[in-house]
Amino acid sequence: MDSSTSVALEPLLSFLTFSFSKLESGFYRIPGSAVVARYVKSSHQNDPGRTILELILVIFAIRTLLQSRTRTDRSGKHFIKFSEKEIDELVDEWVPEPLVQPLSEWEQKDLSSVPIIAGPNGPKPKLLATGKIVTNLASFNFAGLAGNEKVKERALETLQKYGLGSCGPPGFYGTIDVHLDLERDIAEFLGTEASILYSQGFSTISSVIPAFCKRGDIIVADRSVNFAIQKGILISRSTVRWFDHNDLKSLEDTLISVEKERKKRKGPLTRRFIITEGIFERDGEMVDLPKLVELKLKYKYRLIMDESISFGTMGRTGRGLTELYNVPASQIDMLVGSVANGLCSAGGFCAGSAIVVDHQRINGTSFVFSASMPALLATSGSEAITFLRNNPSVLLNLQDNIRAIRAVLEKTEGITLLGHRASPIIHFCLRTQQQSFSVTQPTYDYEAEERILQDIVDDSIANRRAANAGETFTWTRDEKAAGVVKASVTRILSKRR
Amino acid sequence: MSRPSPKLLHLTVQVPADIKGRRRSGSIVKVEEVGGRTEELLDRSAYLNINANWVNAKGAWLIHVVLVFMGKIIIDTIPGMTQQISWTLVNLIYLNLSYLMFHWVTGIPFDNELHGGAYDDLTLWEQIDDGAQYTPSKKWLFTAPILLFLASTHYTNYNPWLFAINLTALIVLAIIPKLPQLHRQRVRFLTGDASGVSTPVTPSFPKMDQNPLHAANPTDARFG
Repeated sequence: MDSSTSVALEPLLSFLTFSFSKLESGFYRIPGSAVVARYVKSSHQNDPGRTILELILVIFAIRTLLQSRTRTDRSGKHFIKFSEKEIDELVDEWVPEPLVQPLSEWEQKDLSSVPIIAGPNGPKPKLLATGKIVTNLASFNFAGLAGNEKVKERALETLQKYGLGSCGPPGFYGTIDVHLDLERDIAEFLGTEASILYSQGFSTISSVIPAFCKRGDIIVADRSVNFAIQKGILISRSTVRWFDHNDLKSLEDTLISVEKERKKRKGPLTRRFIITEGIFERDGEMVDLPKLVELKLKYKYRLIMDESISFGTMGRTGRGLTELYNVPASQIDMLVGSVANGLCSAGGFCAGSAIVVDHQRINGTSFVFSASMPALLATSGSEAITFLRNNPSVLLNLQDNIRAIRAVLEKTEGITLLGHRASPIIHFCLRTQQQSFSVTQPTYDYEAEERILQDIVDDSIANRRAANAGETFTWTRDEKAAGVVKASVTRILSKRR
Repeated sequence: MSRPSPKLLHLTVQVPADIKGRRRSGSIVKVEEVGGRTEELLDRSAYLNINANWVNAKGAWLIHVVLVFMGKIIIDTIPGMTQQISWTLVNLIYLNLSYLMFHWVTGIPFDNELHGGAYDDLTLWEQIDDGAQYTPSKKWLFTAPILLFLASTHYTNYNPWLFAINLTALIVLAIIPKLPQLHRQRVRFLTGDASGVSTPVTPSFPKMDQNPLHAANPTDARFG
C-alpha cells in the first residue's frame, strides 16, 4: 500500500521540485537577490523557531502599515456613510415639514388657558379676557412689594435720572453707582463682607458654581436641586456625588465615602463643595442649616447655598435662613440669592467674603458677559430692603397666610401637601390612587395628572382665583382663597372618580 | 420675575448608551473606557493639542534612529560589554522610555486653562491625531521598535533567555499598548468597592415614591 501511494505521489513531487528549482534560478537572476539571501541566511542562524516568530512580527508590521486611517474620536460614532444613490433617493423622498408643528388639542387648551393680565401686576390683577379681578396666588410676591407705592415712586425718580438701560456688562461701562449701592445694601443686610449683583436670577447660580468649581473638584449636591444648579454643575465639569434629598445622614455618608475614595486613589487634595438650596424650589423643603454648617466644618467643605426662595421671606426681617437659624452668614462660603423673588425686582446676587466676591468680578461668566440690570430695578431692590428692615410685620403676615392656606388644603381630600410647613411656596400633588400595599411600582401618568391639575386651575379662575398648574401658591389675603381652591379640587377630583 | 411654567416638573435626562459598568462587581480584572463622555469630547475639540502634534513634525521620526544609534555607541563604550547584552540593553531602554512617554504619563503638562483638564485621562498615544488610528505617525511609532528588535536579532546571536526577554518586552511594552482595540481602555485590578456615580440610597429612602416630583431622577445619568 505504501509503494502504491508513493507511486501516485511521484509525479506531484517531481513537479514540485522542478518548479522550486525554476523559482530559485529566477530569484538569483534578480539583481540584489544575493544580498537578501545572505541577510536572511545570517538572520536565520539555523534556528527555525526564531525565524518563524520574526516572520510573524514582520507580517504583522506590514499588515499594520497597510491599514487605512480611521476617523478621529470627535467626528462621532454615528456617522453613516451613504452611497450616492441612497443620498439621491433620500433627497427625492424629502417633503418639507412646517417650521412649527401644529399644536395638539391639549397643547392648544394649555396655551389658551394662560391668563393674560390687563394693567400692572400685583396681588389683585385684572384679567384681560373677562375683566374680572382675581387674586394672584401664583407669583413670587411674598412681602407685598409688587405694587408698593414707595418702591414705584423711587423707581420713577431713578428712571428720570438714569434712563432705562445700563448699556453694557458690569465690567465694561455698565456699572452704575446704584448697583454698587444695592450690592452694599445686600451685604450689610445679610452681614457678609461684600456681595456681587447678577442681572438675571437663573444665571446667577449657574455662573457662581463654575466660577469656583473646576474639573477635578468634588461637588456633593442634593438630588433635588433646581435646574439652574444642575446646569451650573454640568458646566463646571467637576466630579459630582449626589445625596438623598434633604437627608443629612446621607450627606454625611457621602462625605465620608468621598474621603475614602480619595485616600484609596492616593489622589491630591482638591477643592470640595457642598451645594444645596435653602428652600427647595422643587418641593418646598427647608434644609437644616446649623447641622449642615457643622458637617461642612467637620469635613472641611465649602458651602454654596442657593437662597432664591428663602431670601426675603424667612427670618424676622427676611434675611433668609441665616437669620431664621441664627447662623452667621460668614459661615456660608457663597450665599446666592434672588433679588427677583425676594425683593420683587430683578436679578440675583452672591454674597460672601471679599475674596469670593472679587473673584467673581472676572470669573463669573454671567457677570462678565451679560448686561447689568437697569438702574431703576437696582433702586427698587434697595428700597425693598429698607422696607423689609422697617416693616418686619409683613413677614409675620406672610407666615399667618401660609398657615391659613395649609390648614385648609391639608384637609382637602385627594391631594397631599409637600414641603416644610413654613415655606412660602406651597406645593401640592395628587395623591395616587394605588395603596401602598401594592407590589408593583406605581406608574405615574403625567399627562393625566396635568390635565386634572389644569382643570382645577381653570375652575379656580372661574371662581375668581387665579392659580397655575405649576402648583405654586403664595401670599394671599384670606382663607377664602384657599377655600375656593379646596372646593375646586374636590369638585374636579370627584368628577374624575 | 419668572413665570411659573407647568413644564418645570418633567426633567428627564437621556442616559447615554456609553455609560459602562457602574454597578459594583467583584472582578479581579476589569477593562474600563476612559475619556469618552460628550463633554470631554467637546472640550478636547476646542483648541489644537500641541502636546501631541509634535510627533507629526519633521525630525520627530528621525530622532528615534539618531537616539538609538547614539545609545548603542554609548553603551558599547562600557568596558566588558558583549554584543548580546549591549543590544538587549538598547532594546529594553528604548522600549521602556517609549512606554513611559507614550503610554504611562497622562494629561498635558502645560496650558491647563485652555483645555481645562479634558486630556487628563489620556496618554500621549491616545492624544495623537485626536484618536484616529493608523495615521502615518502612529504607523512609524509602531514599526520603529519592531525594526529595532529585528536588527538586534540579526546582528547578534541571542541565547534563548535573552531572546525571550527581548520578545516579551517588545510585545508587552510596544505592541499591545499601541493596538487600536485598546484605545482609551484601561485595565483595572481589584477595583472592588469603587463608588459609582450615585450614592447607594439610605434605608430611610422611601421605596414607594410618594411624590411624582422625584420620579424623573436626573442625577444618575450624566454627571460625575
